[in-house]
Amino acid sequence: MTDLLKHLCLIDGTSGDEDSVREFVISQIKDYCEYKTDNLGNIICFKKGKKRPLKKVMVDAHLDEVGIIITSVTENGFLKFSVVGGIDTTALMFRKVKICDRVNGVISGKPYHLLSGESRKKAPQTDSLYIDIGAKSKSEALELVNIGDRAVLTSDFEVLGDNIKSKALDDRIGCLVLISLLKEDSEYDFYATFTVQEEVGLRGAKTATYAIEPDAAIALEATTAADIPSSADDKKVCCVGKGVAVSFMDKATVYDKEYYKAAIGSGIPCQPKAAVAGGNNSGSIHLSGKGVRTIALSAPCRYIHTSSSIASLTDIENMLSLARYMLNGIAGGSIK
Amino acid sequence: MEIKDLLFTLSGKTGIGSITEAQKTAYEILGEYLEPQITDDFNVIGFLSGKSDYAIMLDAHIDQIGFVVTDIDENGFLTVSNAGGIDIRALPSRAVTVHGKQKITAVFCSTPPHLANGDTEYTDITEIKLDTALGEKAKEIVSIGDYVTFTGDCFPIANGRVCGPSFDDRAGVACVLELAKRLSGKELPVNVVFCLSNGEELGLRGVRTAAFSVEPNEAIAIDVTFGDGLNISADEACGLGEGGMIGISPVLDKKVSQKLISVAKENNIPYGLEVMGSKTGTNADMLGISRKGVKAATLSIPLRNMHTAVEILDLGDLSAVCDLLESYILSGGVSND
Repeated sequence: MTDLLKHLCLIDGTSGDEDSVREFVISQIKDYCEYKTDNLGNIICFKKGKKRPLKKVMVDAHLDEVGIIITSVTENGFLKFSVVGGIDTTALMFRKVKICDRVNGVISGKPYHLLSGESRKKAPQTDSLYIDIGAKSKSEALELVNIGDRAVLTSDFEVLGDNIKSKALDDRIGCLVLISLLKEDSEYDFYATFTVQEEVGLRGAKTATYAIEPDAAIALEATTAADIPSSADDKKVCCVGKGVAVSFMDKATVYDKEYYKAAIGSGIPCQPKAAVAGGNNSGSIHLSGKGVRTIALSAPCRYIHTSSSIASLTDIENMLSLARYMLNGIAGGSIK
Repeated sequence: MEIKDLLFTLSGKTGIGSITEAQKTAYEILGEYLEPQITDDFNVIGFLSGKSDYAIMLDAHIDQIGFVVTDIDENGFLTVSNAGGIDIRALPSRAVTVHGKQKITAVFCSTPPHLANGDTEYTDITEIKLDTALGEKAKEIVSIGDYVTFTGDCFPIANGRVCGPSFDDRAGVACVLELAKRLSGKELPVNVVFCLSNGEELGLRGVRTAAFSVEPNEAIAIDVTFGDGLNISADEACGLGEGGMIGISPVLDKKVSQKLISVAKENNIPYGLEVMGSKTGTNADMLGISRKGVKAATLSIPLRNMHTAVEILDLGDLSAVCDLLESYILSGGVSND
């Protein structure tokens, strides 16, 4: 499982540029289900189970990750950029980036020695940063990169005790769990979607859900764990290693109360996502068509949307168990 | 070894406090040309004899910036203090190496999105905890007083430029080692001292004892200086690819600076000038006032993103620095003036 997750995380797939991740996911699932790719680039899969379900269930994970898009080149060969999805400036400064999996660069800014007083302690505006690829002029830079190219912050995938550290844990963890569900024999037929453009407004999930018209949905995600010393106890949201985070409400969704209760009462290690913050594909899914009863199961993840996110391998195993439990319960009718 | 390989090899080693991987590597490389020694305070020093009693010291500092662990909590979070100048703005979510009973990776905490107010400000490094992700087991591996250093690989970017951690001042160290290679076996007009000094980032410490014991007549500190960038003005920084920067400052010896300039001109070696109104912030400040005084100079390599894990320099500048130092030594420095 760790090897597959490592492989998934190290592929670059900024929103709108998910091709490489999609190809790899298809290579993993193609022998286990029927699948097609829609106009946006979502993978829509149908998994045949032993039995026909009482409810049509869709299980979703998103392919894309946060990153960077090159917007212009200065006369002296530096690249200006916009962030794709939410990335804090401190996570960008003085980091190595890979542009189109090809060109090395470094996100640079004015070194602190050349700043005075208070500005030494304040994160600068993101738009004051730029990427240095070593080019000396605009024309030289444009021989190496194109306007519109995507870049990601590079990172090693490392195992730290029971935990892992990597880029793109949001949401390659979800992809891993969904691939695992597809690879095993299923009790009931279900749909699986690997969706694009989640980080730029939950967009892929809109068309995928429209196409499937499910009765119920399970979103597999990674969510903010703020279990760090600077967070007060009531601001920790959820804790790494303390079980799957189950959402009751966030900025995009009010989740199905019965499903929430069923997940929390499952006996599988889990915890409430104890904040009304953030959002995920559920926001698009639960409002699709005539409405879809939706639950989100997430791996608690520290430093989410940075190149050094940390999550627990045990939480991920529990996420697979809980996803299977909810899928079978909803499809089979034991979860009302 | 090519200068790039030399730089990458040196930058991959750790040299901070009592961790002396970098010194051992430099010692082995220097040992190919002469008989160096590692002193009790972890300076690496070697000599090549010349025809006169006059001695010129080529100095680069071998230590790097980092952190030291001051507290370990029961959840595996460390409090650290900086060892050398650190840009705290760029620490959150950065992975670093903790040199405990074994080397482990840890990540500086970043403000979670729901708690960020869009105006991130840090008052002190001790506020930014370091996450080992090992929980209570962290204490089995990490002890108070352990060192922490930036993690990062060395890699090329365009135009013969390269990026990596600790180029400050492994770039200078690479030049000093290259000079030992170039000058060994040659007939030298003066004695040459190769000094890779420890503890520069903590207050020019190693060079103090090194200069005291060696007593050179003249010394050149080979260090890095601020490289250019976007919205960094020409009076704040030096362009990359224009050669080494010869220092001119009231605390430096005027004749040595002038001689460096004239040697560069005579041999068509690219160079620039770095004019400073007072102290240079390099080992030269300490060298000048060692014992009865040493004629001190600086020759600096422009470096972008100084004191980060992604320092950038131009390999052409390293070659220019080596060319200039070689010609300068062979000219005898200012020994005849």
